[in-house]
Amino acid sequence: MVPRRPWGRRIGVALACALLGHAIPAFAVRVDPVGLDAAQVAATQALVDDILARLPRTWREGLPRDLVLAWRADLPHDVQGRRVGRQVLLDRTLLTDWQARDPASADDPRALAVRKTLVHELAHAYDRMQRNVLSADARLRDLAGWQRSVFRATGRRARNDFTDRSPDRYELTRPSEFVAVNLEHYVLDATYACRRPALHRFLAAHFGDPASDVACAPGLPFLEADAARGDATLLALDPARVYAVDYLLAEGNTQAMSRWGHSMLRLVVCAPGRPLGPDCRLDLSHHRVLSFRAFVGDVQISSWRGLTGSYPSRVFLLPLDQVIEEYTKIELRGLQSIPLRLRQDEIASLLERAAQLHWSYDGRYYFISNNCAVETWKLLHDGVPRLAEAPLASITPTGLLAKLAREGIADRNRLDDADEARRLGYYFEPASTRYDALFAVARDTLDLPQRDAQAWLALEPAERARWMPQADLKASAALLVLENAALRRQQLLLRDELKRRYLGRDVPADAAPAVQALKAWLGDTSFVSRPSELAPEGYGLPQSAERERIVVEARVRVDKLRDEDAVLRKDLERWLPEDQQEALRGIESNVETIGTRLRALAAAGAP
Amino acid sequence: MSRLILAGVLLALSVPALAGSFAGSSAGASSAGSSASSDSSSGDDKIVLQAREDAASFVASNGRIRGAQLEAALRHLRETDETARRASDMQLAQAILAR
Repeated sequence: MVPRRPWGRRIGVALACALLGHAIPAFAVRVDPVGLDAAQVAATQALVDDILARLPRTWREGLPRDLVLAWRADLPHDVQGRRVGRQVLLDRTLLTDWQARDPASADDPRALAVRKTLVHELAHAYDRMQRNVLSADARLRDLAGWQRSVFRATGRRARNDFTDRSPDRYELTRPSEFVAVNLEHYVLDATYACRRPALHRFLAAHFGDPASDVACAPGLPFLEADAARGDATLLALDPARVYAVDYLLAEGNTQAMSRWGHSMLRLVVCAPGRPLGPDCRLDLSHHRVLSFRAFVGDVQISSWRGLTGSYPSRVFLLPLDQVIEEYTKIELRGLQSIPLRLRQDEIASLLERAAQLHWSYDGRYYFISNNCAVETWKLLHDGVPRLAEAPLASITPTGLLAKLAREGIADRNRLDDADEARRLGYYFEPASTRYDALFAVARDTLDLPQRDAQAWLALEPAERARWMPQADLKASAALLVLENAALRRQQLLLRDELKRRYLGRDVPADAAPAVQALKAWLGDTSFVSRPSELAPEGYGLPQSAERERIVVEARVRVDKLRDEDAVLRKDLERWLPEDQQEALRGIESNVETIGTRLRALAAAGAP
Repeated sequence: MSRLILAGVLLALSVPALAGSFAGSSAGASSAGSSASSDSSSGDDKIVLQAREDAASFVASNGRIRGAQLEAALRHLRETDETARRASDMQLAQAILAR
């Protein structure tokens, strides 16, 4: 039943507000009574009072003075509300819904829909009256996702790629709609501060409202891709445990795709229990890396598609140890880790932005205009307002680093002392820089005839094996590193062989089904970089209940990938050339032999 | 066929970054050279495992090659183990290789 005591209610609301120092001027929004009976007029007035009481004072006082609310039955069928001049027109069926609401229930969905419609229109009215104070604000547009182009003359990009986990896709049509939709949530949705914390802070600061005191699910959620374990798990990253953020540059090599290097951000996360400070720099196993990459999802990478924006650009969260392995030991590229001078609150807002990207962003990768350097720059730009002021835009990883250094944001001094830089993790050298020195140790002890590491690694595995039983501790240690190098090299070789011969354009007919299966499998890995696939409900950063479902869904998908992986592996095996497989088995056996010997020798000399 | 290579072959093209490493990298992951499976290793073991190649380079080079993963493991051992505190860097590096 609908209570018929609107006046009492009105006075109640007015009194409550007066007590709080927010007296509502009676003229704020007038009700157009034409075509309404007394009960309908009263219900409408109750709606107006209900909403005005919820609005921040700045908003209420910033509305046009003579707004009139009228119910209309002739709005287009997909429009619930519209503003024409000083008139706020709402769909008449909403009045019926409002009158039928359950006043005892705080979250009656019918009432909520009506409230949202009115807040939406009052948001437009406020924004327009105040000369687009919100929708034209540069910071708001940054946060909303109308990102700056890397080319200054282009200004902002017209498209908004924050399409995933949106509360209402209508917000993406233009900034004014973004403001109206977000103000609906700001006013009516207690979880808004948790789901879009940066926008909530921005709006609260604008209106002079206190910061939210809603208890949010702890930490920033990231789905972490751990290749070593073949796993993807949900991590709750606590920004208060991040001591520093480094610009992590993978140095270029001669491969076309990596000639200009690769830019990433390293999060210096402190081990549990360690106070925030420089000591955290050696908690390597807790450090994480944010890396923007194109998601290819295919066995072949096409440069043309890279140029034309056919690949999604996504941010991955990876363990630092994995990144070190991948670049320095497999690709033999150096990693420079350059500390960025950021305050603790800036680190927090940067990470919050990264989380927002992780769950909502589905941009396009363009080889020139939206590559890893551009994405990293945009993350710094949008995540840390101070950095948005600095001229940092750059289309290459080294260019971005140079600008960060010139602006005094990146501190390159740490690399000056090369030994210290290596020891403390400001520089991770390519593993190959050690090979010759290590080979010399083994050569001197064992009197090896080969000239250098290159020649040693070119031997058949069985020939290298001959020398192993005589190696002492130091020589064994050297040979272990070199044998690992041989193993990685052979793995790379087989992989390239596989790609070249069986996954390329001229796939043998009998291989086609397996290639199809592999492509499907690769497509199925998409969720790792687009975790919103795991959480179709809710918007923004996932909260507790969603996170529980994400954990379960991720488990299911990873298990499925592993099962399929086992089948695919068997299928791919038969395509690898027998002599290459033989070589691989030989190296693996060597690694085992030298590893066992080293273990025994080291155990004899260890404390 | 060993687990490693095929994990390598497939992971290279797939799981995390690896799938999509257009701009980044095309490499895969493997825990080459470490005998223990990382699946079940605790945080402690992981730090020591990751340091194995750094420790080997350190021992072979008489302490001249000194990487950050070794440095992290040395500190970790000294923080968690009383006897490690009295041992030299070289002794600890050997202890890491003995595992």
